[in-house]
Amino acid sequence: MVGQHDENLLSDMLPIYYTRLFPQNIFCRWLTCGSYPHPVSNRELSFTLADDVYIRYLSINNQKDFQTLLQKKIPHKLDIGGVYNTKPSIARHDSVVLARELVFDIDLTDYDEIRTCCQEAKVCEKCWKFMVIACEIIDKALRDDFGFQNILWVFSGRRGIHCWVSDYEARTLDSPGRGAIADYMCLIMGGDNQNKKVNLGSDNIHTSIRRALNIIDQYFEQLLEEQGFISTADRLQTFLKIMPDENLKSQTEKVLAKMSEASLDRWKAFLNIYNNYYRENSNSSRKIKYLIEEIKIQYCYPRLDVNVTKGFNHLLKSPFSIHPKTGKVCVVFKPGNAKNMKLDEVPTIYSLLDDSSPDNAQHQVNMRVAVKNFQEVVFSLEKTEAMRRRNDARVANRSIATSPVDRGKAKI
Amino acid sequence: MDFKLKRKSIKTPISGSLKETYPHDLQFYKVPPTCDINLQEFETLALERVTLLRTLATATTLKGLRLNSEEYTEYVLGELRTQGLKYYARLCEKSGCAETAADFEARRKDHIAHFILRLAYCRTEELRRWFVAREMELFKMRFAVMRGEAVDVFFKLNNLCYTNITDNEKNEIIHYLRECLPYQNIDNMKFYKVKFYEVLDLVKTRKVYLSGGYAYIPHRDFISVLSALYRTHLRQSLAIASQHLGEIEQDERLVSLLKGLHQSYSGNDYSETKSVVPIESLDSLSLKSFPLCMRQLHEQLRMAHHLKHGGRLQYGLFLKGIGVTLEDSLRFWRDEFTKIMELDKFEKQYAYNVRYNYGKEGSKRNYSPFTCLKIINTPVGPGDCHGCPYRHCDTSNLKNKLLGYGYDPQAVHEVVDLAKKGHYQIACSKYFDTVHNEDVGLGINHPNQYFEESQKIIKGGIKVEPKKEKVTIKKEEIDDLEGMDFDEPL
Ligand code: SF4
Ligand SMILES: [Zn+2]
Repeated sequence: MVGQHDENLLSDMLPIYYTRLFPQNIFCRWLTCGSYPHPVSNRELSFTLADDVYIRYLSINNQKDFQTLLQKKIPHKLDIGGVYNTKPSIARHDSVVLARELVFDIDLTDYDEIRTCCQEAKVCEKCWKFMVIACEIIDKALRDDFGFQNILWVFSGRRGIHCWVSDYEARTLDSPGRGAIADYMCLIMGGDNQNKKVNLGSDNIHTSIRRALNIIDQYFEQLLEEQGFISTADRLQTFLKIMPDENLKSQTEKVLAKMSEASLDRWKAFLNIYNNYYRENSNSSRKIKYLIEEIKIQYCYPRLDVNVTKGFNHLLKSPFSIHPKTGKVCVVFKPGNAKNMKLDEVPTIYSLLDDSSPDNAQHQVNMRVAVKNFQEVVFSLEKTEAMRRRNDARVANRSIATSPVDRGKAKI
Repeated sequence: MDFKLKRKSIKTPISGSLKETYPHDLQFYKVPPTCDINLQEFETLALERVTLLRTLATATTLKGLRLNSEEYTEYVLGELRTQGLKYYARLCEKSGCAETAADFEARRKDHIAHFILRLAYCRTEELRRWFVAREMELFKMRFAVMRGEAVDVFFKLNNLCYTNITDNEKNEIIHYLRECLPYQNIDNMKFYKVKFYEVLDLVKTRKVYLSGGYAYIPHRDFISVLSALYRTHLRQSLAIASQHLGEIEQDERLVSLLKGLHQSYSGNDYSETKSVVPIESLDSLSLKSFPLCMRQLHEQLRMAHHLKHGGRLQYGLFLKGIGVTLEDSLRFWRDEFTKIMELDKFEKQYAYNVRYNYGKEGSKRNYSPFTCLKIINTPVGPGDCHGCPYRHCDTSNLKNKLLGYGYDPQAVHEVVDLAKKGHYQIACSKYFDTVHNEDVGLGINHPNQYFEESQKIIKGGIKVEPKKEKVTIKKEEIDDLEGMDFDEPL
């Protein structure tokens, strides 16, 4: 295991980490490419220093600048903001954010009402599965439905994951556009006073939801067992409160309460009860048509912090920064590989810089893999950007040659 | 936007025939009108469209009708007819391309009125939002009632050409279309491919099939595409219009009309306030948070221990609006006035006025504090020191006064310059920025709004306590100074 985490040590280790291990070059290329057509110096960086001093509106011109700034300030936390119309450090009242990656933030604390293994800041391999599901569902929707290609997935350093979409269309999307995508992906609604948080209606299930359910199904029974969603009396009660039909609810309660506590057995018994009930009660069938799907979604579907996605200027932790509380590196991972990721294999600044640490060798390897993952995304982003610019130039030339029509979004 | 107002109506014919200019009941309002109209028609058209938009707001909010439901359309059309707005009823009922003189006339009015309201509603984000929301409802309603052939003409006129996907393409995705769309006869529908951001309302509610960044929509969902286009266009136009307000506001008659327009409907009249301001803080507040018109009244009162009637009215109502209670107000005026007169005289001659302002005497109406418009347009006489200093002060007096306060000469120069050009309220806004040492660029139309905005910035400068009891009295603006019963002749 990793040596004890000590925040005081950080101030000594961070300068070394930033110089030797932080992938500065690729990071700057990512920022530059993701700021185009504006210079990278219009991009806001923000630092949190050792004594919790928070500095906003920093920016860099190039990698050299970046290295100098890191060494001068030694940030304990490093966040990335939007691209302004001017250098953010001279931001005035009329400065505006022009572009920004489309971002998603999923955090396990939003799962506290359903996860049973850990609460709050804690996280374990069991509840990490929620993150795996979230990553797979969102990644698929972004690619298949919205056609985005340049998607970066980053471990947030403690108990969550971040997603950065760098496609030009995503970066320049306005607030309503971001809001619409967030709402499209958001299925779980309602606060503590609402027991049934998912409503699929009684029409067909939307293609994207059907696809999400297929992903959930790969994990559902395992999660059910590990988390014991309906094992204890309390959890069973919570589960029963979701039932929109009183008769179904009492029938279920009668049977399940008498059974052993194994959630999987109880679930299978419930499926039986439900199927019979649904067949026999055509009058209430509309209300419970998709109850099984709704339950699965309520227990497994990604719980997004939609405000982060909707906002244009939300600061988000940078890839490869060090989480100040855990010392863990915010590594980049491949969405397809999320399910193989082990939390204690995530390198920490201590294991990386201390060659006597038992994890040192393995973590060095894992760090290199993470940097390679980052590189792959950045290279592909640079390639698509170059292609897009070439196309735009061609279109521009052509429209000069023909008539200068109003080039709206529609084919006018 | 190019409105030239003539006192007498001079009708220059619209370039091209009416048929060319107004071929269709529904329009995108891309080109502003360039005809001359007289002030009266200008005002009528503006008010009529406000009524139309207000009707739409009532339908969804007060009546709770679902947009474009049958009841909604019925209600709106009914209201328009009872209000005598037959030409709007005509436009909203069918949205076609008929060619009678009445049709052309209705479209012309619609066109001009829309552009007038842009000027009135481009001023603040709040107004813009309200206006865009209503205009969108109007647009959607008119598109929804449009019949097949008129739809085709509309698309052609606006150069909207979309090609439907081939049957092969459609067959490949028909399964998904059935899954995603709330419609029955998908097999018979033609489908079109647009980018997902063209139909955000459908994306948001998951009522569309998305693949690879494209949305596949049937003809009937085109309203989403069109309204998104229209919304973008409208928002941009409003932003541009607000930048050019200064040019339009050369004409004072226009200014008052346009500003009054929204106030007649949605403006806060500041006759009831939620906070209490102790009179002990007035001295410091007058430096930081009073507009110049009120600051000079306050200073005059402190210096001369007296104000003439017009000043007492303007200042007294303002104080009421910021949250000075009746009791405090009486004490405030009494303390000053009794420095130059006997208490008895004050009680007999002036206390009545104070209570009057608070609706405790006379007709017991709860008078609203004056708007800038009213202050600017009310004539002031000799010895008066109320009114709007940017309007009613000589340039040199204004300049000396501001320099005397110690403001930066450059800023003072700008304020004075704006006032000289007749941009009184913009000058006021510049003064606001100078005092607060910030670049806010407020659109100021009410001294109490000035005060509230200032307090928002200073926040914590004074303690704002919630008022304990509130008496609700019928609100009414004083429209006619002569109509009031005063103790002192004007
Ligand atoms: S514009 Fe209004 S607030 Fe400003 S000085 Fe004139 S009346 Fe007073
Ligand atoms: Zn756990």
